[in-house]
Amino acid sequence: MRAGAALVASALGRSGPARVGAGLLFFFVLVALVGPLLVADPTEMLARPLLPPGADHWFGTTGQGQDVLAQTVVGTRMSLFVGLATGLLVTALGALVGVTAGYFGGRVDDALSLLVNVFLVLPGLPLAIVLAAWLPPGPLSIVAVLTLTGWAWTARVLRAQTLSLRHKDFVAAAVVSGEGHARIMLREILPNMTSLWVSCAVGTATYAIGASVGLEFLGLGDVSRVTWGTNLYWATNDAALLTGSWWTFVPTGLCLALVGFGLTLLNYGLDELTNPRLGVDRAWRRALKAAGRTPGDSTPYLPPAEGGR
Amino acid sequence: MAFALRRLVFYLVAAWFAITLNFAIPRMMPGDPATTIFARFQGRLAPEALDALKASFGLTDAPLLTQYGTYLGHLFTGDLGLSVAYFPSPVSEVIGTGLGWTLLLAGTAVCFSFALGTLLGVLAAWRRGGRLDAILPPILSFLGAFPYFWLAMAALWLFGYTLGWFPVRHAYGSDLEPGWDLTFLVDVVRHGLLPASTIVLVTLGGWMLSMRNTMLGVLGGESILYARARGLAPRTIMWRYAARNALLPSVTSFGMALGFVLGGSLLTEIVFAYPGQGYLLLQAVRTQDYPLMQGIFLAITLAVLAANWIVDVVTMMLDPRIR
Amino acid sequence: MTTAAAPLLSVRDLVVEYIDAAGDVRILDALSLDVYPGEILGLAGESGCGKSTLAFAILRLLRPPAVIRGGSVHFAGQDLLAMPEDALRALRWRDISIVFQSAMDALNPVLTVGEHFEDTFRAHGRPAEAGRARARELMTLVDLDPVNLRSFPHQLSGGMRQRVGIALALALEPRLVILDEPTTALDVVVQRAILEKLVSLRARLGFAMVFITHDLPLMLELADRIGVLYAGRLAELAPTAALAAHPGHPYTRGLLHAFPSLHGSLSEVRAIEGTPPSLRSPPTGCRFHPRCPAATAACVAENPAVRALAPGHLVACHHAGEAAR
Repeated sequence: MRAGAALVASALGRSGPARVGAGLLFFFVLVALVGPLLVADPTEMLARPLLPPGADHWFGTTGQGQDVLAQTVVGTRMSLFVGLATGLLVTALGALVGVTAGYFGGRVDDALSLLVNVFLVLPGLPLAIVLAAWLPPGPLSIVAVLTLTGWAWTARVLRAQTLSLRHKDFVAAAVVSGEGHARIMLREILPNMTSLWVSCAVGTATYAIGASVGLEFLGLGDVSRVTWGTNLYWATNDAALLTGSWWTFVPTGLCLALVGFGLTLLNYGLDELTNPRLGVDRAWRRALKAAGRTPGDSTPYLPPAEGGR
Repeated sequence: MAFALRRLVFYLVAAWFAITLNFAIPRMMPGDPATTIFARFQGRLAPEALDALKASFGLTDAPLLTQYGTYLGHLFTGDLGLSVAYFPSPVSEVIGTGLGWTLLLAGTAVCFSFALGTLLGVLAAWRRGGRLDAILPPILSFLGAFPYFWLAMAALWLFGYTLGWFPVRHAYGSDLEPGWDLTFLVDVVRHGLLPASTIVLVTLGGWMLSMRNTMLGVLGGESILYARARGLAPRTIMWRYAARNALLPSVTSFGMALGFVLGGSLLTEIVFAYPGQGYLLLQAVRTQDYPLMQGIFLAITLAVLAANWIVDVVTMMLDPRIR
Repeated sequence: MTTAAAPLLSVRDLVVEYIDAAGDVRILDALSLDVYPGEILGLAGESGCGKSTLAFAILRLLRPPAVIRGGSVHFAGQDLLAMPEDALRALRWRDISIVFQSAMDALNPVLTVGEHFEDTFRAHGRPAEAGRARARELMTLVDLDPVNLRSFPHQLSGGMRQRVGIALALALEPRLVILDEPTTALDVVVQRAILEKLVSLRARLGFAMVFITHDLPLMLELADRIGVLYAGRLAELAPTAALAAHPGHPYTRGLLHAFPSLHGSLSEVRAIEGTPPSLRSPPTGCRFHPRCPAATAACVAENPAVRALAPGHLVACHHAGEAAR
C-alpha cells in the first residue's frame, strides 16, 4: 500500500500527463468530499422542470425540477466510491488468485489459470447484468458484481509477473530460509511488482466507474439514490433527447469522462515510470529539434556546436 | 491444427462453465429464487405466466442434480423457457429476432474500429513523436473515457434530434418492409451509421494505443535492426517486419476485448432503440424478465466464445510458430 | 598481412553519445582505427566497452538516444557521416554486412529463411529469379541444405540459424563483414565449425572482417590484428603476434591473463580486479587508472594519447614501453 503511494508520487514527479491526471482526480475527490455540503438537496423539486442552465440553476433542472448541479456534485461521491472499492477488491482478489497460481505452479496453477482464462472470455457486462438483476439494488451489490466479473485480468497479469519473479534469487533465498508461503508472497513477491498492481488497480477503477454507470443506466442500481448512473437513467426516462434538454445528461457525462481520463493519464505516467524505454528518446528528439533536424532512420551526425546544449 | 483443437476444447469448457453459472446464479442468490420471483411478480402476472416462469427455471423440489439435468436437457433442445416480457413467446425466439442486428451493428463497428485503430497505431509508432502521435492519443483517450451509451446519447441529440442528419431510432424506417432490396439496405446503413460511429469513436483510442505500444516494442527489437542493416526499404520494414509482427499480440487482445466491447455496444443499442440484444436486455431488466435476461447472457457468451475461437484460428494462420 | 594498401574502412576520432535529460553519456570517445581489405580485425574488451557500439555506429544503425558527436567514418573513400539516407541504405549490406549475436532474435519469426533472402535481394534491386538461385548457392556455401529456405527460424537449431546469418551476410558479396559475437550463444563444437567455415570463406571470397568477441584466446587464433577497447576508448591496437608477445597496455595484459592459456594450468588465471567504470561519470585521466596496478599521478591527471610503440603497434598508456617485460 505504502509502496503504491510512493510509486504514484514518483510518477507525478516525472510525468506531465500524470500530474494533469492527478490534478483532475484531486479535484473530483474534493468535490465528492465537500461538494455535497455546498449544493442544494439533489432530490428536492426546487423549480420548474427542465429549466435550461441559468443564474438560479447553473446547470439547469431535471425533468423532476431538481437541480442538475446538485445532482452532478452529489453523484460524484458514489461513483468514486464504487470505482475505489472495486479497484481495491479486484486487486486483492486478482493478487490472491494470480500470485497463488504463479507461486505454486503445477496443478494449482493449471486449475486457477483455467478459471482465470474462462472469466476473461466471458462477456463481463451481460454477466454483471444477470448478477445485478438478482441482487438487491444498491452500490454494494454493484461493487460485488463488478468485482466478480472484473478480477480476471488483474489475476492474469500478476500471475505472469509472479512466474518470472518465482525463480529470482531473493525468492529462492526466502524459500530456503524457511519462510512461510503466505509470508513470501506478501513480503517478497507483491512488493516487487508494485507498479503492476497499482496500474491494475487504476485500470480497474476506470472500468468500474464506467460499468457501474452502465448498470445504473439500465435501471439495475438503486434508482432512488443520486449517482452519476441514476442521473443518466432519469435523464433518459424523462426523455431528455426528445425534449432537447441536453443539460440533464451533459454535465454528468463530462465529469465521468474527466475522471476516466484522469485515471488513464495517471496510468500512462505509471507506465512511463516502469517502462523507461517509453520516455528514453524524448531528450534525444528535443536535441535534434533544437538543431533543426528531423529524426531519420540513421544515427544522426550532430556535432556539439550544432547540438548546442 | 492441434492448436485450433486445443482452443476449441477450452471454449467448450468455458461454454459449459457459463451454462452452469447461468443455472447456479438464481440458486446461489440470497433467499429462495422462487420466492424472489413470486414476490416481485405478485399480482402483475397471469397465473399461467407465473407457472411458465417457474417451469423455465426448473425450480421444482427435485434435488439440484436432477434440476441441473433437466436444465441441460432443455438447453440442448434450444428450450430457454418462456419470456415474461413477450409472453408467451419462447426466449429462444425472442433472442433470435435481435441477434442478427447486434452482430451487424457491433460486428461492423468493432471490426472497423480495430482495423482503423490498428492502422493509426502503426503510423503513430512509426513516426513516433510526430504530429499524429502527439495529437491523436490524448484526444482518443479522452473520447474513450466516456461511457459508450453517453457518447451515443450526445451524438443522437446533436446529429439526430438537433441537426436532423440521421434517423433517431430503430434499425430501419417503420414504413419499410425488411427484405434484400436496395432501398431497405440503404435505410439500414443510414440507421446504423450513427450508432456504429459512436462505438468506433469510443473504442478507437484503445486499439490505437495498444497497437502503438506493441509496435514500439517490436520496433525496439533486433529483427528491425537486422532489417535496417540489410538496407531494406523503410516501407518494407514498417509493414512486413514491424506491423505484421505487432499484429499478432494485437489480434489476441482483440479477442479478449471483444466481450467487453460487445457489452458496451449493447448499451449503445438501447440509446438508439436499435432492435438488437441490448434493447431486448433493457426490456428484460425493466420487466424483470429473468429467463430472457439469462437467455441473452448465454447467447452473447456463446457468440463471444465463437468469435474468440475464430480470432485464435486467424492468429494461428498469421503466426508460423503455433501453426 | 600487408598494411601498405589503402584502408577499406577508416574511423577517425569518432565520438558517440547517448543524449539523456540528466546529461549526455559519452559511449565512444575519439576512437580511431582502420580496417584493411581482406584482413580480420578483432575487437576485444569487457561488455559495455563500446565494441558493439562502434560496429553499429559505422553503419549509422545506433538507435535513439545515440548521436554521433564528432569524428569521421570513411568507407572506400566515401564519407559515411555525410551520406544521404538513400545512399546509406544502398551501401548497407552491399558493402558492409553484419552477423548478429543471436540470429534467433535478428531473424523475423514470421518469415521463412527464403523470404529473408528475397527481401534482401529485392531491397538491392536484384532480380527475384537470380536471387532464388543465389540463396540456394549461399545455403550450400555454409553447409546448409537449401530445403531449409522454406523453414521458419524457430524450426532450425541455434547453429543452423547462425549459419543462415552468415549466408545472409555474404548474400551481396560485401567487402566488409562485421561479426558481433557471432558464436557466443553456441556450444564449443558448433562454434568451432562455424568459425572455421568463416575463415575458409574469407580466404575464398576475400572480404575483410571485424570480429567482435570477448573470447580473447579465440581472437588470438583468428585475427590478423587486434584492437582492445576500454570504456569507450582505444587502449591498444596491434598485430596479433605483437599484442600477444608484447602487450603495451596493462589492461591488455590483464585480459591476456584473465584467460587460461591452452597449455597453462587454471591457477594462472588472474582476473582484472574491479569493474569497468560508469560512462556517466568516468574517471579522470586514463580511464583504467583505478584498476591499474601501475597507475601513477600522471595517469590520474592526464588522458594518455594514442602513440606508436612499434610500427603498427598503437597504445594509449603513459607508461607503455617503460617496463616492458
